[in-house]
Amino acid sequence: MTGDVSALASGGCHIFSGCGFPAPGLQDFEWKPLFSIGSFDFTKPMLLAILAALVVIVFFWVAFRSPKLVPRGMQNLGELAILAVRDQILRPSLGRKGDSYLPFLVSLFFFIYIMNVMELIPLLQFPVTSRIGFVWPLVFIVYFLYLYLGVKNQGAWGYLRNMVPPGVPAPIYIILVPVELLRFFVFQPFTLGVRLFGNMFAGHLLLTIFTLASWYLLSLSVGLVYAAGSFALAIFVFLLETLVTLLQAFIFTTLTATYIASSVEPAH
Amino acid sequence: MSSGNDASTQAQKRAAAQGRAQGLDIGWTVFSYLLAGMAAYGAIGWLIGRAVHVSLLFPIGMLVGLAISIGFIIYRYGGQGAMTRPSSRGNAKGDDR
Repeated sequence: MTGDVSALASGGCHIFSGCGFPAPGLQDFEWKPLFSIGSFDFTKPMLLAILAALVVIVFFWVAFRSPKLVPRGMQNLGELAILAVRDQILRPSLGRKGDSYLPFLVSLFFFIYIMNVMELIPLLQFPVTSRIGFVWPLVFIVYFLYLYLGVKNQGAWGYLRNMVPPGVPAPIYIILVPVELLRFFVFQPFTLGVRLFGNMFAGHLLLTIFTLASWYLLSLSVGLVYAAGSFALAIFVFLLETLVTLLQAFIFTTLTATYIASSVEPAH
Repeated sequence: MSSGNDASTQAQKRAAAQGRAQGLDIGWTVFSYLLAGMAAYGAIGWLIGRAVHVSLLFPIGMLVGLAISIGFIIYRYGGQGAMTRPSSRGNAKGDDR
């Protein structure tokens, strides 16, 4: 557990007791290793990432191990989940012919969502994606697929040429090349990863601040009013985060679908 | 009658989902263009400025890059608002269900 929480809980650190507010910060995202193998430390976020993968695998395996023509129970839920991704994410970007990417997008969406939503589950209460090291591999997978499909469908030269839309005069083309290259290879993947990381990082920090502050401000004085206000905000941020966890998974997967679409069809 | 209404509702939902995906894509692409323009021409300005000992070329390069990005964004996406209006959405991609 992180220092702030244990210091507050064990020391009875409250307002007007001469104890300063131990403000949450980067240290709340650093975890002591659960165990070590040589120089490799296995931490809580790693455990949660594995757990998220297992949840997705087991859920879809249970749902579709013996599918029936008329779905019942878990299969109903599984079909609902798949159809939601298909109709809200895949088909708006790729149309019917993009259905072969459905397994990839479903896995991606639910893996990210489960990693995000762990922030709100008691005892787990940490969003794996607030550690940027867990986000870059996802961005790398998406970008590798994006490049691979682009080169496969348009050829290497055609793919590079199609980055700038047709009809642009030659001098403008030369001016745009550095901008396009930097956008495509640096800033687009950067914004894809940092958006997910930043939202989950900020959300977790806000939740920690208001939860800690509620406990810290608790005292038989005017602090009780402050604590109530802070607690109300903690509840508000919690509710907001239930939306943000879903929204961030949705945005990441939707952008992945539009990237795939632009690789498959250059004019997209 | 009701099946006609259902089909129209489905089409509206599809159009809304397409607009949402397109909006997300364009929004973040535009943001990437703005950053890339500033970074690319800022770097070029910084390199030239270093060679000729004029440090002002770095911020000038960034501003030029920003102007290029904005110009290109207007060129590429300027007419997008008219294109995404529901009336002109008939042949949009993804409507082939």
